[in-house]
Amino acid sequence: MVSSTAQPLIETHDLVKKFGSFTALNGVSLKVFPGEVHALLGDNGAGKSTLIKALSGVHQPTSGKIFVEGKETRFNSPRDASEVGIGTVYQDLALNALTSVTRNFFLGREMKFGKGPFGILKMNQMHDIAINEMAKIGIKIEDPEQPVGTMSGGQRQTLAIARAIYFGAKVLILDEPTSALGQLQQMEVLKTIKKVKQLGHIAIILITHNEIHARLVADRYTFISLGEVIGSGTSKDLKGDDIRRLMAGGAEVGDLAKELA
Amino acid sequence: MTLELSRQEADRHKPKGGLRAIISRPEIGPIGVMILLFGMLGYFSIPAAETTWNPFAGEGFNALGIRNNLRVISQLGIIALGAGLLIIAGEFDLSIGSMIGFAGACMAMTLRWGFSIIVPYLSFEGGAHLEFYTLFHIPDVSPSLAIFITLCFTLTFGWIQGFIIVRSGLPSFIVTLGGLFFLRGLTEVSLRSFNHRPDQSKGATTVTEIPDLKNLINLPGHGEMEREAAKYLPEADLISIVKGLPAETITKITERLEYTFQRVAGAKTDLMIAKGVKPLERALENALESNNEFMVKTIQEKITNFKIEAVVPKSVTDVDIARAYIDTISTVQPIADFFGGNILESIFDWLYFPIDWNTNNFGNQFAPGLYSCVMIWVILSLFCYIVLSKTQVGNWIYSTGGNLSAAQANGVPTNKVKISLFVFSAFCATLFATCQVFEVNTSDAAKGNLKELEAIAAAVIGGIVMTGGFGTVLGIIVGAFIFGLAKEAFFYIPGIDGSFYRVFLGFVIIASALLNENIRKRIMGNI
Ligand SMILES: Nc1ncnc2c1ncn2[C@@H]1O[C@H](COP(=O)(O)OP(=O)(O)OP(=O)(O)O)[C@@H](O)[C@H]1O
Ligand SMILES: [Mg+2]
Repeated sequence: MVSSTAQPLIETHDLVKKFGSFTALNGVSLKVFPGEVHALLGDNGAGKSTLIKALSGVHQPTSGKIFVEGKETRFNSPRDASEVGIGTVYQDLALNALTSVTRNFFLGREMKFGKGPFGILKMNQMHDIAINEMAKIGIKIEDPEQPVGTMSGGQRQTLAIARAIYFGAKVLILDEPTSALGQLQQMEVLKTIKKVKQLGHIAIILITHNEIHARLVADRYTFISLGEVIGSGTSKDLKGDDIRRLMAGGAEVGDLAKELA
Repeated sequence: MTLELSRQEADRHKPKGGLRAIISRPEIGPIGVMILLFGMLGYFSIPAAETTWNPFAGEGFNALGIRNNLRVISQLGIIALGAGLLIIAGEFDLSIGSMIGFAGACMAMTLRWGFSIIVPYLSFEGGAHLEFYTLFHIPDVSPSLAIFITLCFTLTFGWIQGFIIVRSGLPSFIVTLGGLFFLRGLTEVSLRSFNHRPDQSKGATTVTEIPDLKNLINLPGHGEMEREAAKYLPEADLISIVKGLPAETITKITERLEYTFQRVAGAKTDLMIAKGVKPLERALENALESNNEFMVKTIQEKITNFKIEAVVPKSVTDVDIARAYIDTISTVQPIADFFGGNILESIFDWLYFPIDWNTNNFGNQFAPGLYSCVMIWVILSLFCYIVLSKTQVGNWIYSTGGNLSAAQANGVPTNKVKISLFVFSAFCATLFATCQVFEVNTSDAAKGNLKELEAIAAAVIGGIVMTGGFGTVLGIIVGAFIFGLAKEAFFYIPGIDGSFYRVFLGFVIIASALLNENIRKRIMGNI
């Protein structure tokens, strides 16, 4: 499954992002392959979100290059990124809790009769697609008219992921998808991630602070600290201790554990 | 240990069927209040002497009552749609009232004095001073041109407000508050400075004596003239008009006039009987009190035998026919009639003759129809309903107000949505003003005062959440009904100050806002 010889779907080369005098990313290189979950780990403020915002067109990197399927690319807006197949599920999920599942699923890309923004929505067709797409990655929704606000956190994640995939995401970026959820729902999201991985053609970048979650689904790891890559490897190469140490930015968690005891 | 895992997340949503589905709709509270007000208006407006279970027997729901109530409701409804849609998208417009005043004044002035573009420039001949060069002047502005010119100003202003708000990120409250003062001031200033014509009192902030355009008719042999003027042409002229009419038309008009004259005569007779019998009835009461049996008997006899000669109906003359015919000639200004005239006239006609429901106490036809603004409101409501719940734009409006960053992340052009809705709000205010100007043929700088708050109140009562993202067009319609009905219903409650309707509305506004917030929280869940 893990094949370093294949072409990476997305690759960054020496990415630098400065906010004024503050260097959030200081030369990050990264390769992500299809059918793989790539865990992006690091402490708070390490620059993980900044990195994926550069990949999804929200931020423009100060210097460095981004390659999509081997071609160098520049994103001037999130639109550009989603056009080449980069789908981002943000921490806030970009959902409108007050409207229905279907309206959220198709938000901004509604199916309609006729051209122009006054086209009449193909509501029934959109209902069917939304339900089917969510079922494909493991969640059964009874009522597509249900407001998103009444769904569980796990269901919302699935909605956001299903939406990204349906609209052609080849690279799926998940920023802490399990952080706000309870145990059961966390597992639900991990199952969803596994299902997406099994589809085979999608590369997943997963940001998490949870080592166990990373070990459950990840195939490859990159560790970031203070804006730089401090380590990387496949799930085979890395042991639990390495992961824990690198996640904390290189500090010995064992020492910390002693201190705390 | 056994684990029961057959229960799924989806099982927690109890399927809503039948009554539950109806009760959980957000509009149900407001609809309840609306029905209550309908009942109040119906029953309280029944004259004290009558006892009936039919709420439609009262003054609130006679033909004229319906005509007047629906006018108030639909005028408010028009601007409530503009305000409501904007609030759903997360913004406010406090300039609606001033926009109404401005649009009315602009339209009235162009109708009255024409439209010109005047360029001021500095002249140095005989000392530096400002000169004015008239680029062009259109002396006779048609209703459609006046509406077009007004829309150019109001929509541009709406666009500017929206543009400033989305570009600067300032709260719309502040920007449109500025608009409120700016437009009201501009209206007063321009009215005062243009009202220098010899035929107007200097510096007045009203425009009067606009011809009654919706009643402009083309009378054969006389040219264009106002309907009322035509009716008072010399009798010889009127008679000669009848001569030219086909026999069929004359019979039809005559038939109807005979009916009217009969009804009028009948009403007069009834009135005279009532006048004659009333003192006798009072005397009878006295007699009953004093137990004077003889008197009771004689008075009772007098009452049963009370007779009065029935009033003889007037006979139909050619002049009557001519005047009735003039009423049926259609206007030469259909645009003015579209906004300021009446609708459903043939139905209201039929309700008078032969149905005899649309009849006032004097036997004449009560209401000529409904005000045109009702139709405008219905059309606009339908349009808004379709746009908000059935089109892509509707989804954009909801998401712009519900979660702005989510909408932007999904490629919704939220700035365009907001600006368009500011423009739409200005459009609604202009429609309101257009209907008013063509109805009453005057305008006043104070028109529309406080209307922005009424529009917002109606939207809130109808279930629009002030923080945006939630609400329906049906709700806005119901809100306008509640606001309009409350005033009338309280007016008819015996022995109560009419201003209590404001107290009531204040209560309803807060109650609705609490209810709306509750619904919103329930939907938002806890994340
Ligand atoms: N728009 C910005 N302007 C200035 N500084 C920023 C901006 N965005 C992020 N930063 C800074 O960049 C650093 C990296 O932030 P980032 O959000 O990428 O961290 P993170 O790794 O995602 O952390 P967490 O795990 O807490 O989400 C932080 O110090 C943050 O304050
Ligand atoms: Mg982050």
